[in-house]
Amino acid sequence: MPFRDLFTASAISGSGMSAERLRMEVIANNIANANSTRSANGGPYRRQDVVFAEVLGKATGPHNRPALLGVAAVERVEDPSELPIVHLPGHPDADANGNVRIPNVSLPTEMVNLLTAARAYEANLKAMQTFRQMNEQALTLLRS
Amino acid sequence: MTPSSFGIDLLAQVLDASALRHRVIAQNIANVNTPGYKRLEVAFEGELKQALALPGGGTGHVAPTVIPTDAPERVDGNTVDIDREMNEVAKNGLLYQAMSQILASRLGSLRSAISGR
Repeated sequence: MPFRDLFTASAISGSGMSAERLRMEVIANNIANANSTRSANGGPYRRQDVVFAEVLGKATGPHNRPALLGVAAVERVEDPSELPIVHLPGHPDADANGNVRIPNVSLPTEMVNLLTAARAYEANLKAMQTFRQMNEQALTLLRS
Repeated sequence: MTPSSFGIDLLAQVLDASALRHRVIAQNIANVNTPGYKRLEVAFEGELKQALALPGGGTGHVAPTVIPTDAPERVDGNTVDIDREMNEVAKNGLLYQAMSQILASRLGSLRSAISGR
């Protein structure tokens, strides 16, 4: 095994952890804005989602297989689904009929996604811990 | 008597394969939420068994290979099962530990043979 491959395993787990952390941040942002009827692009807030993609390096070595480089969050997209309408005549953003468009954030969905992200984060952490134990074990070979 | 007859070369090969397998499992775990990702696996033990069964018994040419596997797909096209991967990572960690302990004891015997004590 070449020396430069020594710590790629922890880099892979680290990429997974930072991707899951970003997902958690976006979910927290969705929950925080569940009632925001104004946003930067005008109109009510739309829930956001992150898009993950596998990262592979250049194909090298005798078997010409690409190096494994973990995962990356490549994009943050807005959910285009329809905004629910509620009847709130007193609301400052209500239209002539007293209807308000509210964000398409659904709390149960966000909570389920949050749990999934937290579990995936833990799994990456566990893989990293195992990697550390393996390396410690390999280092004991140097002791006499 | 060459050092390889202690099985040191073979143990190092198994350790290398195990380290590669850990990287592959880490990649699978990192991509547990990537739509369309197909889980990877390391094929090594089968080839090693074949090489050991041959009369020459040379294992120097056996190298681990990363292969995509067939597994049940989720709705998003991902085939990673997190429980399976956690089991694999624990199993592979134990294998690595066992192999490096055997290697340490082999090296210890060599060391005591050299020092004559």
